[in-house]
Amino acid sequence: MLRILRDLLRYNRGFGLGCFLLLLVAGMAALSAVSPYPPLDVYVVPPDMPPSAEFILGTTSRGQDVFWQLTLAIRNTLLFGITVAVLSRIISLTVGLLAGYLGGAVDRVLMSVNDTFIIIPLFPILVLFYFVMRDNMSWTMLAVVTASLGWSYDARLIRSMAMSLRTREFTHQAVFSGMRAPEVVLREHLPYVLPIVFSTTMNNMNWSIGLEVTLSVLGFTDINTPTIGGMIYWANQHAAMVSGIWWWVAFPVALVVCLFVGLFLLAVSMNEYIDPRSRLARTGGAG
Amino acid sequence: MTEETMMLAPPRPTPALPAPVLSVEKLRAYYQMRFFGVTREVRAVDGITLQIGRNEIYGIAGESSSGKSSLIKTIARAIRPPLNVVDGSVRFDFGEGPADIYKLDPHALAAIRWRHLSYIMQGSMNVLNPVRRIRHSFLDFAFRHMHLPMPVFLQRVEGHLARLNLEPRVLNAYPHELSGGMRQRVTIALATVCRPAFIIADEPTTALDVVVQKSVLTMIRGIQQEMGSSVLFVTHDMAVHANLTDRLGIMYAGRLVEEAPTRSLLRRPLHPYTRHLVASLPRIGDDAPKAGLNGTPPSLAKPPPGCRFHPRCPLAMDICRTEAPPMEELLPGHRVACHAVRQELAS
Amino acid sequence: MTSYGSYLLKRLAQFVLVVFIGINVTYFITHATPIDPVEQTIAAATSFGQTSPAAIETMRESLRALYGVGGSPLDQYVTFWKRILIADFGPSLSAFPTPVSTLIARAVPWTAGLLTVATLLAWAIGNLLGGLAGYYRESRVLKAVGVIAMGLHPIPYYIIAFVLLIVFGFLWPILPITGAHDPGVERSLNLPFVLSVLKHAILPAMSLILVGIGTWFMGMRALVSNTVTEDYTVYAELAGVKRSRIMRSYVMRNAIAPQVTGLAMSLGAIFNGAIITEQVFGYPGLGTLLIAAVHAGDYSLVIGVTSVSIIAVSAAVLLVDLAYPLLDPRVRER
Repeated sequence: MLRILRDLLRYNRGFGLGCFLLLLVAGMAALSAVSPYPPLDVYVVPPDMPPSAEFILGTTSRGQDVFWQLTLAIRNTLLFGITVAVLSRIISLTVGLLAGYLGGAVDRVLMSVNDTFIIIPLFPILVLFYFVMRDNMSWTMLAVVTASLGWSYDARLIRSMAMSLRTREFTHQAVFSGMRAPEVVLREHLPYVLPIVFSTTMNNMNWSIGLEVTLSVLGFTDINTPTIGGMIYWANQHAAMVSGIWWWVAFPVALVVCLFVGLFLLAVSMNEYIDPRSRLARTGGAG
Repeated sequence: MTEETMMLAPPRPTPALPAPVLSVEKLRAYYQMRFFGVTREVRAVDGITLQIGRNEIYGIAGESSSGKSSLIKTIARAIRPPLNVVDGSVRFDFGEGPADIYKLDPHALAAIRWRHLSYIMQGSMNVLNPVRRIRHSFLDFAFRHMHLPMPVFLQRVEGHLARLNLEPRVLNAYPHELSGGMRQRVTIALATVCRPAFIIADEPTTALDVVVQKSVLTMIRGIQQEMGSSVLFVTHDMAVHANLTDRLGIMYAGRLVEEAPTRSLLRRPLHPYTRHLVASLPRIGDDAPKAGLNGTPPSLAKPPPGCRFHPRCPLAMDICRTEAPPMEELLPGHRVACHAVRQELAS
Repeated sequence: MTSYGSYLLKRLAQFVLVVFIGINVTYFITHATPIDPVEQTIAAATSFGQTSPAAIETMRESLRALYGVGGSPLDQYVTFWKRILIADFGPSLSAFPTPVSTLIARAVPWTAGLLTVATLLAWAIGNLLGGLAGYYRESRVLKAVGVIAMGLHPIPYYIIAFVLLIVFGFLWPILPITGAHDPGVERSLNLPFVLSVLKHAILPAMSLILVGIGTWFMGMRALVSNTVTEDYTVYAELAGVKRSRIMRSYVMRNAIAPQVTGLAMSLGAIFNGAIITEQVFGYPGLGTLLIAAVHAGDYSLVIGVTSVSIIAVSAAVLLVDLAYPLLDPRVRER
């Protein structure tokens, strides 16, 4: 495991850059623990100060220090992405492995539902959800709803893997030795699927964080929990761009782009490592 | 394998050799791979010299991963990295003097491909573009070489297909609409429609059942005789070689170990590896148990020193472990690379 | 049963299923959550001033009828479906008494036009460049395009649109950043109007196209790097078939079919993007309508836009799916 990590770091530039960007983002998020200001307080520092030695990323029109606000915002955004990823992983693994292993009618039904969730435009549904919930909308609730809508793409991928695993020798052996379906799936198939799951997790986080940012920017979430989208929302409310307070918008956007690109690079390089086809291209399978 | 396929091909006049169509000199082609910083080299073709004359069917035999596929890919200049030519030359002479296929510019290469040099690929079930009709394959591959107006060209193609027992309607079919045997015959038609001087065939019959195999072999033979082409035919199936080829080269671990007219090679195999191959063939009235060969084929990434066959060879001597035997003509028209055989014949 | 026939039936069934599940999700969210939309609306309407209790009671009654939340759950469910099937979502509250369907009908052409043009352009450009990049692996220009595509691909539509807005709105103001056409021009099919529409569409379309190109580029490059190693491509190269012909009829032609399926699968996500883009650039389509409706607390309009979005996207997916057999003879024939 460590050797794989070392090889990846040494020979895959994308992986190295991705790790660097994510460490940067994670470092920012970790700093939130030592923030000198309570997250929800406003007017704790002089407003509208440009970046300087005292306020390295400037201050907002609401009298918050952009740097410390940002550490908290990225922490919440990151946590949101992780929560959604974990929850949706559970659904997609269950659906994917079951559909792939059982096949037949179960597979057809599950995949029809699955494809439906791929096709349906989720954004209007999330907006509708906010519209109904209004002030009762909380961070956790949004995470649960997002996860219950965003599992379908990966479930399809996992299913196709499980389908090919089902025809392998060791599956027959497990079945003949008397293992029941859930056991076979959990003990024999899950380990094979996990690497792929790991790389799709990155993409899923990108997707959910993108949704969260978008919803908060529009003000369609709990705007009192500081997130990256929430910061941009408040900046827009104060017409920060028009009044030249660019640092209020530019730094959150830059940081979240770092997060997106970092996650994406990690997913791509891991995929490359896992995918037998591209590995074959590198080693050039002799024949 | 049927008894019939084991019968040897009737003797044919040995073709005149002075101006070979193909001459391969000391050819080396290695797979050169880098995986996470570690360089690996697989010597798939390691110093091969051979010549093929006009109107001749030359067979190459050897077990899987003996490098025979790599050899003909290299000869056809059908290689892509990581397989690279390291040394040696491949010269074709299509009546305009010998020219090294690796020194031709892309334009000149495209001009001889299919016009003079065609290729029947291994696994030729999948060589037809699945989303286009067969007719388009013929247009893409052959039209520019034939210099005929379209209707005449199509007529010619239909006539050629008829020779292979294919109806003209296959031209309007997609590959998935044809059976495996039909696709195989379409591929052969595609490779022969320009009446090329040289045809390279890589295991063209391996995936077919014995009956279809027989008719395909008869077809290849018929077309070759009619057009006077040369054929380089590769298969691991010795029975096919016995039935089809004029001369036969045996490959082992990236090297040619023996080469002779097929009849004499099968009647009197000299190299211990060939003897084993020939001895393991079923013969009418022979019910003695077949002896297996000890050991496994060597890894081409780390070949044994000296003669590559020595770890499995019953005749191995000290010199075999250190010095690779050269390929020498020990009997007329019969080349062998073996220290033991040379000593035996000399004494 | 021909294979195209069964393909058609399967796709139609999928369409019905998507609409069914989508509308049910909408129903579930609006009816099964503990929040009462009627009370919500009343609270919003009364928060700005004093209203007499009698007036509130009248309002409550009429809202209940309007939202179809009276009666048993089954009655409500049937009413909900009935309204969707006849496309009658009642009058809009924020633009009373204009029917919701009129407002939606006004917005749909803008969204449909923007989406169609942007999606097709992004798909065509992305696939072309991706195919070239997969085939000509050594080209420096295409490698650079690859790096840019990789950088753009993971960034959400909102951020891209926002950056474009900053660049072309403030740093280098050469393009209109809001609206669908100049307010002064007459809305008919004359040249100034068309030009004005095109000019206003550039930025919203560009934000969709930039993200789209990245996605299609990466997908196509990966597909092509597989099709170039397929036997039929290698064989055509061996036969000395012209490179341009191999590129077009062998490599791209075989790689494009999965990309059509990919297009169908991602129309929903592209639609999400369009909603956001419209909002950023004040484009008068479904997205702007939806977000304005949320801000105005217009319940029937929000449900109307959501339902129409689900049906429209599913229909678009169906259209793309039906075009698929044109590219793959294995589905079309027999």
